[in-house]
Amino acid sequence: MKHFKQLAILLLMIAHFVTKAQIKEKFTVSGIIKDKATGETLSGASVSFLQIPGIGVTTNSYGFYSITVSPGKYTLIASFAGYIMDTTTIDLTGNKIVNLEMTTNTHQLKEVVVSALRKDNNITKTLPGVQRLSTDDIKNIPVLFGEKDILKTIQLLPGIKSAGDGRTGFYVRGGTTDQNLILLDEATVYNASHLLGFFSVFNSDAIKDITVYKGGMPAVYGGRLSSVEDIKMKDGNNQKTVISGGLGLISSRLNIEGPIVKDKGSFFVSARRTYADLFLGLSSDTTIKGSSLYFYDINLKANYRFNENNRVFLSGYFGKDILSLKDRYSTNWGNSTATLRWNHVYNRKLFSNTSLIYSDFNYNINILSSNNDVKVTSHITDYHLKQDFNYFISTRSKLDIGLDATYHIISPGAATVSRTSSYNPITLQKKYALEDAVYISHEWSVTNKVKFTYGLRLTAFTILGPGNLYSYDQNGKVIDTATYANGKVVKTYFNPEPRFDVSYQLNEISSIKFSYTRNVQNIHLLNNSTSSSPNSLYIPSSLNVLPEIADQISLGYYRNFHNNMYEFSSEIYYKNLQNQIDYKNEAQLLGNETIESQLLYGNGRAYGLELYIKKKQGRMTGWISYTLSRTEKQINGINFGNYYPASQDQTHNISVVGIYKASKKWSFSATWVYNTGNAVTWPSGKFPVDGVPVYLYTSRNGYRMPVYHRLDLGATLEGKRTARFESSWTFSIYNVYGHANPYTIAFQQDPKNPAQTQALQTSLFKMVPSITYNFKF
Amino acid sequence: MKKIAFFVLFSWILSSCQKVVSLGLNQTAPQFGIQGIISDTAGPYHVLIYKSVGFYSGNVYPNVSGASVSITDITAGITDSLTETAMGDYTTHTIIGTPGDTYQLKVIADGTTYMASSTMPQPVLLDSITFDNQTKNTIRAVVHFQDPAGTANFYKYSTAVNGVVMNRFQTFEDRLSDGRYITDKLDNDSSEIKNNDLVRVSLVSIDSKVFTFLSEAEKVAYQNDQLSAPATPISNISGGCLGYFSAQTVRSKDGYVKF
Repeated sequence: MKHFKQLAILLLMIAHFVTKAQIKEKFTVSGIIKDKATGETLSGASVSFLQIPGIGVTTNSYGFYSITVSPGKYTLIASFAGYIMDTTTIDLTGNKIVNLEMTTNTHQLKEVVVSALRKDNNITKTLPGVQRLSTDDIKNIPVLFGEKDILKTIQLLPGIKSAGDGRTGFYVRGGTTDQNLILLDEATVYNASHLLGFFSVFNSDAIKDITVYKGGMPAVYGGRLSSVEDIKMKDGNNQKTVISGGLGLISSRLNIEGPIVKDKGSFFVSARRTYADLFLGLSSDTTIKGSSLYFYDINLKANYRFNENNRVFLSGYFGKDILSLKDRYSTNWGNSTATLRWNHVYNRKLFSNTSLIYSDFNYNINILSSNNDVKVTSHITDYHLKQDFNYFISTRSKLDIGLDATYHIISPGAATVSRTSSYNPITLQKKYALEDAVYISHEWSVTNKVKFTYGLRLTAFTILGPGNLYSYDQNGKVIDTATYANGKVVKTYFNPEPRFDVSYQLNEISSIKFSYTRNVQNIHLLNNSTSSSPNSLYIPSSLNVLPEIADQISLGYYRNFHNNMYEFSSEIYYKNLQNQIDYKNEAQLLGNETIESQLLYGNGRAYGLELYIKKKQGRMTGWISYTLSRTEKQINGINFGNYYPASQDQTHNISVVGIYKASKKWSFSATWVYNTGNAVTWPSGKFPVDGVPVYLYTSRNGYRMPVYHRLDLGATLEGKRTARFESSWTFSIYNVYGHANPYTIAFQQDPKNPAQTQALQTSLFKMVPSITYNFKF
Repeated sequence: MKKIAFFVLFSWILSSCQKVVSLGLNQTAPQFGIQGIISDTAGPYHVLIYKSVGFYSGNVYPNVSGASVSITDITAGITDSLTETAMGDYTTHTIIGTPGDTYQLKVIADGTTYMASSTMPQPVLLDSITFDNQTKNTIRAVVHFQDPAGTANFYKYSTAVNGVVMNRFQTFEDRLSDGRYITDKLDNDSSEIKNNDLVRVSLVSIDSKVFTFLSEAEKVAYQNDQLSAPATPISNISGGCLGYFSAQTVRSKDGYVKF
């Protein structure tokens, strides 16, 4: 902790130094940018002055901006994608608060007006490897079961790959699924999928937007190697009460939002549930008839503005999946998160946010069969305190400083049994850790063309008692057991994480950007099976498991053309990974107190090229994305210690998305995806064991699953819109041409001819039509 | 169990489809394999030597003839040199299996020496067997036995139907069940056990290295699609070959299937 104090003092001194560099006699304009109709704050909106071209600021996560200039008469311009640009004239003779309310351009007739200025935001504003999507951007894209899903849609962007039909999670630039930091209103969501990956836990009705960082993560984020998905819940309409929802074949949603006190506070409540299991009752099979399979989730948010300078937010998420097989087996799992935030404006330039965050993921398994009954419960719980400061120093310079402290409690599992069970009760010891970080990040526009963002995040991961910590020999035998008392520090890992970005604007329409990022990860997910079962096993860094480290460099070129109608980007990246985890062949992860003896460690590397072209305006919009990449691992004890393809290595990956607005009533959409199959290990021979053919494997991940491709179509019919009521129908077909994409390929004895073996491919989803009715009043 | 549950539900709800696919699999050069067993039941005992084949070949493995094979009871100091009684099938003469003794297998073939040792565990009694037909169309045997407390026990189940040994094996260890009364259901296909069949189930006690080999082999044979990285099971025989050598004890129960 002592190091922390010293570092914090150092950071404050730097902050002071940077601030001193200002010149006198300037005034500050500050305020909040909001959506006029709903009162939702808009983060990432640009604010600039017509009279001072080339400079400007962006609103922070809470819609706050601050801009400091010499006195004078100015035209303040606020712009944000999807909104009509707003301007206001100000006479700056002292500090001023200017709050702006912007109107969406989607339902307006006079769309044309806007194009004159700055639609080339991507050239000037974005960092390499960053993508932002709002729920509006995704509403027309067809998805499985017609349930629009922000985490599914980002998998159509370059560098982000789906883990496949029926698989949980996604891969970003060669990372594994547990290397994505998924945040919902700042709370870590450990398992972001429902129904084993067919749905994400994010109900798009409750989501305002998502920002995805594939690289160049700002120093405010840390804890995972590959990416950050920063998801924000809607604040709720503070103008009027609105009820909306949707009815689908497999799930339904209902949302209520409205003002607590008009213009001052609002609330948002959203709930959804699937009911696919109702069909189970129709089955003639008694086992299936008595089974269930569904999930539900609830999003809640409330905010209240006490005055210009103080605002509080309370947000929460609660979700649960339930799966049971009559009289045999039942399991449920879910996330809960809660975030309490306080926004405070100290002065016109210094914005502060304090957050108290709770996050929990748990699963329960109940094996019911008589004489073999076991009840297993497992938890990972975080208590998290976060303090962030945004200091808007000048139009060219902004400083972010903050600190972070998370207390992790991991309960890997406790099994209870009845007297007649074949199993013994067992409680695996809980694991405790404290994850602290301080960070500083400075955004500095040196000239109108060159902008630096550089910073440092320092993390300290402390393993705490009580507990036994084991040391192992090379064969995984316990050679030493050290017992630690409650609260006793076992070990602290310090890791500096430098972050650096520079962008250079070549001309009005093109720019190049470079970034270097180091990320460190201290919570690791173990899973050596391909099945998407939710019984995730998290372990913290320990004496044996070292913090995972990733260093990434990326270089991007961005260009707009055709009067900014098209946006093109290309990025290359190289990532080096240290202390990666793999498993011994005979690894036994279940109910194992000395689980770390089952692990192997090594390195990884990932590199690739990402191309992206997007058409942003007109009746026809959409994008094409292409990724060429390679992801390899080198683990001592696997493949003779040589590099081999990681299972998530997909050489080619293409997504095509098209949305066509045919009329005011109808819009159509299509997506097509194609990718090289994942790297897999298949047999190169067989031999008998007790008369059963057993397979022989020669190299790790030496084969490829067949190519994956799929076309989805969607259509949206807008109903009559009145002042009081809006409705729409969404039709979609998933996998239109019914391509049998493999879910698994199993090698087995031919059931019809035991003298032969065969490869049996199982596919899910051959053409799934769906229909959803959405309403709002 | 849980995996089966997921699969049953998903295959039903999502009307998944299955098809046999032909894959371009490499074929590695034939590899040498040994399966040697000595038990506490009546001999003679056999050591089988064979070579692996490609995945798309039939399940017939070339025998390896002309090897020199011996089994030594190290504890008692007795060596038995085996005779090749059929192509690739080497048979013992006098050696008998005694629980607690350590046995050593030595095979010399094509100029290479392969060695293994295995200690015969104490036998564990099989209390009874019953049958279960709760899963649609499939009759499965259920074993009942008391696991001895305080020792690590490793088991293999094997089944014979009407006197014919089923080509199937299943392993169990008491890592999470030490000292419990065990009830375990054996896996098989619907066609393998029928009403009125005479079924003999054997509870085979094995040592830990044999268990490691067999449980890996079991996963590779029956659940290879669920392993993120399947690998050839590691033999307990040194010298670079496939297969295993096990000194084991066997206790069996017979039962007629009556539903």
